Amino acid sequence: CSLGYGGSKPDILWSPHHVDRYVICDSELSLYRIESLGSTEAKAGVIQLSEETAATLLAINSDTPYMKCVAWYPKHEPECLLAVGQANGRVVLTSLGQSHNSKCKELMGKEFVPKHARQCNTLSWNPADSNWLAAGLDKHRADFSVLIWDISSKYAPEATVPPEKIRLPSGDADVGTVVTKPLYELGQNDACLSLCWLPRDQKLLLAGMHRNLAIFDLRNTSQKMFVNTKAIQGVTVDPFFHDRVASFFEGQVAIWDLRKFEKPVLTLSEQPKPLTKVAWCPTRAGLLATLTRDSNVVRLYDMQHAPTPIGDETEPTIIERSVQPCESFISSFAWHPSAQNRMVVVSPNRAMTDFTVFERISLAWSSTSSLMWACGRHLYDCAEERTGSEAAVESDIATKMRARAQSRYGHDTVQVWRNYVLAGGDDPQLKSLWYTLHYILPFQCPYLTLDQEQKQQGNKQTVVYSGIKNIVKSSSGTTESRRSWSDSDRQGDVVRYHSEERSLALRLCGWIGRGPDVDVEPFLRSLEQEGEWERAAAVALFNLDIRRAIQILNKGASSEKGDLNLNVVAMALSGHTDEKSSLWREMCSSLRLQLRSPYLRASFAFLTSEPGAYDGVLYESRVAVRDRVAFACMFLSDTQLSRYIDKLTNEMKEAGNLEGILLTGLTKDGVDLMESYVDRTGDVQTASFCMLKGSPGEVVKDPRVQCWIENYRNLLDAWRFWHKRAEFDIHRSKLDPSSKPLAQVFVSCNFCGKSISYSCSAMPHQGRSFSQYGVSGSPTKSKVTSCPGCRKPLPRCALCLMNMGTPVSSCPGTGKSDEKVDLSKDKKLAQFNNWFTWCHNCRHGGHAGHMLSWFRDHTECPVSACTCKCMQLDTTGNLVPSDTT
Amino acid sequence: MFVARSIAADHKDLIHDVSYDFHGRRMATCSSDQSVKVWDKSESGEWHCTASWKTHSGSVWRVTWAHPEFGQVLASCSFDRTAAVWEEIVGESNDKQRGQSHWIKRTTLVDSRTSVTDVKFAPKHMGLMLTTCSADGVVRIYEAPDVMNLSQWSLQHEISSKLSCSCISWNPSSSRAHPPMIAVGSDDSCVTYGGKVQIYEYNENTRKYAKAETLMTVTDPVHDLAFAPNLGRSFHVLAVATKDVRIFKLMPMRKETATSSGPTKFEVQIMAQFDHHNSQVWRVSWNITSTLLASSGDDGCVRLWKANYMDNWKCTGILKGDGSPVIGSSGQPVALSAAGGSSALASQNALNGVMAGRKKAQLMPG
Repeated sequence: CSLGYGGSKPDILWSPHHVDRYVICDSELSLYRIESLGSTEAKAGVIQLSEETAATLLAINSDTPYMKCVAWYPKHEPECLLAVGQANGRVVLTSLGQSHNSKCKELMGKEFVPKHARQCNTLSWNPADSNWLAAGLDKHRADFSVLIWDISSKYAPEATVPPEKIRLPSGDADVGTVVTKPLYELGQNDACLSLCWLPRDQKLLLAGMHRNLAIFDLRNTSQKMFVNTKAIQGVTVDPFFHDRVASFFEGQVAIWDLRKFEKPVLTLSEQPKPLTKVAWCPTRAGLLATLTRDSNVVRLYDMQHAPTPIGDETEPTIIERSVQPCESFISSFAWHPSAQNRMVVVSPNRAMTDFTVFERISLAWSSTSSLMWACGRHLYDCAEERTGSEAAVESDIATKMRARAQSRYGHDTVQVWRNYVLAGGDDPQLKSLWYTLHYILPFQCPYLTLDQEQKQQGNKQTVVYSGIKNIVKSSSGTTESRRSWSDSDRQGDVVRYHSEERSLALRLCGWIGRGPDVDVEPFLRSLEQEGEWERAAAVALFNLDIRRAIQILNKGASSEKGDLNLNVVAMALSGHTDEKSSLWREMCSSLRLQLRSPYLRASFAFLTSEPGAYDGVLYESRVAVRDRVAFACMFLSDTQLSRYIDKLTNEMKEAGNLEGILLTGLTKDGVDLMESYVDRTGDVQTASFCMLKGSPGEVVKDPRVQCWIENYRNLLDAWRFWHKRAEFDIHRSKLDPSSKPLAQVFVSCNFCGKSISYSCSAMPHQGRSFSQYGVSGSPTKSKVTSCPGCRKPLPRCALCLMNMGTPVSSCPGTGKSDEKVDLSKDKKLAQFNNWFTWCHNCRHGGHAGHMLSWFRDHTECPVSACTCKCMQLDTTGNLVPSDTT
Repeated sequence: MFVARSIAADHKDLIHDVSYDFHGRRMATCSSDQSVKVWDKSESGEWHCTASWKTHSGSVWRVTWAHPEFGQVLASCSFDRTAAVWEEIVGESNDKQRGQSHWIKRTTLVDSRTSVTDVKFAPKHMGLMLTTCSADGVVRIYEAPDVMNLSQWSLQHEISSKLSCSCISWNPSSSRAHPPMIAVGSDDSCVTYGGKVQIYEYNENTRKYAKAETLMTVTDPVHDLAFAPNLGRSFHVLAVATKDVRIFKLMPMRKETATSSGPTKFEVQIMAQFDHHNSQVWRVSWNITSTLLASSGDDGCVRLWKANYMDNWKCTGILKGDGSPVIGSSGQPVALSAAGGSSALASQNALNGVMAGRKKAQLMPG
């Protein structure tokens, strides 16, 4: 435990035996105790070192001036004994705190004085024989620079000390307080800058001398092993690898292997500023911390994985890190003796920080959204837990898709809009999407419930399903009509446009029903029911029925949880006048922007707009796209309308806003839009289900759509939602028959090689029906157990020893009903019991039902003398699906 | 809120890598103790170590799973200059009953002259392919031509990146529009060597990998990188762990002609850059939809990042390496100021690890 420091910059030393104590030394010695913050909170004079820890000052010792270096006595008792090296070369023993130990009292104040005064640079206690204290001093031409003192001159040495040392005279006349005769003197006419005892032998001392590193052997002081180098400062032995030593010179650290001492095995990258301290981590093998002058970072070199240098030519890997324990410069640091990777750093103004160097954490996400990480030797499993207060926080799309997959999202093909509810019913974009599809799809799929009128429109099919953008493009024969406000006497103040296509568009927007009438009343009523008062009022207003709008607002104000302000809005509406220069107009156009509801803003914009200029409505981005489009279809001329729709479509495509599907339909445009949506959200689930409803030729075959579908299936697989995946595949093959997988396995006869699937297949439609082979009840029953091609018998089931093709006996009735395909679930499963199964490894097999029940209780193949563990070979087979049918 | 639970890992030295299988039901860890452990999740959600064996004669840097379609297959790489492929076999004894599984080495890949720093299986659609990278700057791509015979691997490609490699990541996109692509990170500390992330793309015509892009803005050592699961997106996202967390967006530029044989050109954008970890970032990992990114760094914390609908990335969670939440991480100052009694209790718990996580987590205001 040695150190060398200069000036009055504080240094720090951890107690070798008390894990909670350390000493700060600058002009005086201060002993601190470190504790966790909770237990010291109340006390005064506590210095906080980190979020969790604080230090209490226990004792101060200012008895020893001119301190140059300090070393803490390595033995348990006396506990607070310190050796201080002074500027004049004297070494003084002192203590901190009140030790009642008699041994300590004896040693206290003892001084070891060299013949010639010069600075003491370093001190080091012998770790094995704690009576030996080595001191390194500056050069003196007539004196030695390494002096080994024996502190034990006055009291009984420890039992481990060989007897001859007891007799060694300390040559001391001064009542045992001043010792002038060292035990050993080494390094004549040289300087010693750093020292450390080698743990592999208590008689070996490593010293950083003036221009070399020297190993002194006290058994033969005339000989030394040395190597010339400049890196002679701060020699320190790796506590985990006793042949490895670090030393430094200016900005460079050299790592030595004492077994091949000729040159450093490694030099670490040079720092621009001179180093002040280098220390091995006592809790972690091969971790070296270094500090340079005027720096706030501690650099760490992880040599953990470096192989033993002998006989290995490879460069050892060193992982370099720098850590910044605090904002200010660091004067010195000390590793905690036992707490993993922990250190306390001290700044020039004595501010202290408790700091832990963290191991590199490796981490991984699982497919089910849990996070695992490894920190040091420990593993942590981390999963999201929803608490009440966080319900508002939007969950991740992965979590959402999992939940939606389980709620059969996308599978409702009759009431398509219900998919929005299945998705959780809280996403406005999905709401728009599924309602759009709900309106579009009946046109597309003629087999669904269609009334007479739509059947006549059969030729419009493709147009309809390609979205409003194409519908209005194809518009012809637009007529204008001048409509007046329903309560107004004047005629023709608002121009409304009509065409077949426009009413179709309105229908797709959901404003008007399917009948021949163009009444918005049912739509208004449904809005009222859902409490969308502002929207209902706006729609009524756009249909020029100001009275109905006011009525709706009144209703809204008086409803449960109604907003009384709606009455005020109604009042404002009732004052509507066409007078261009009226005060009402002026106030409405200036104040409408302060309204919070986008629908009310749009309403007033409409009322105050010039004929034909409806930007206040059309570009009110928070008004639903379907309402804006419906509005445009009523009030924009053909050229205006198509320009507006194009602009809006591009906007929606850019933003990936699903409301835009209304405009694009399920076309290439729609795929483009969906692409931006997927880019933005990653929601391939919605993309897959939505685009599957598009035309198989154009949309479903789009590589992007195929890619989404594959990715969604892959997600379901990763989640082990295999039933959901199968359901999805079935759903998909209904809409896109080309996606139906071909048969992958055929059973062929051992003798003639022809497929025998005709006779035993569970899918009779693939070939001639079962009855042709007389499966059941027919006189030619035996034929079933033989190949239809060559009439040779089929192999036998390993369990029942019957020829395959014989119905499984434990499932009565299956043989009888096979000619009629019974769709009940039980029957399907029963048929499965008859299926051929065999192990790909040992080729044994039999009836699927029999095999399943056998492997429920056994691991080995049922065929005697076959030790194949058929079922275990299929590792995926051991995984349970995590969804339920 | 994310809550962490500690698992007794029982590795004798630092754990360098954690890897989940495709389903998230199995996990492999590797360590400086030269071993790999395999963990299985029980129905109740507990992890049990079902295999632990010595794999290499040096620190094991990384371990990774093959897609289950190829069987239960692991690959590991080590400081001992090798990579190895392991397969779980059905033991002769009744291992299964004892809850233990048996893994045997199928092959050792010895081509590298230096430490093999990363190993990754290529995406499933490319077949059974394995990639390694090593400290001498070589990326090697192996293929098992017969997926039933894992002892046969042929070295298909050797890419020399010129810089010491620390990590690789395959672009997981299975879209036919995206040719196979691999990103290579270098931990070379020399800043003047330029971009530390190189991206190579397979060229159908030359049947070789060619450099498609170098991220010149990443000049500091790169410790990890990860392509985000593509999930049918039209662009690629790459997270890089260097002196900060960086998220890059690579937009393939549409090729003018179908016949042009050069590598895809990308428009590279930095989507996010965070230095919250102070100095170095060590690992990055994406969740399955690439909507959440986890990173770990020198601050000893695990941070979670999430983008809002505007593509603005924000930190949504911080946890300390020991699983306890960081006090004040939610923007609130210390939540312990509530009452003396409960605060003392909370910090007491902090010392005890796991339980403390939950206790303190609940004390934190949402």
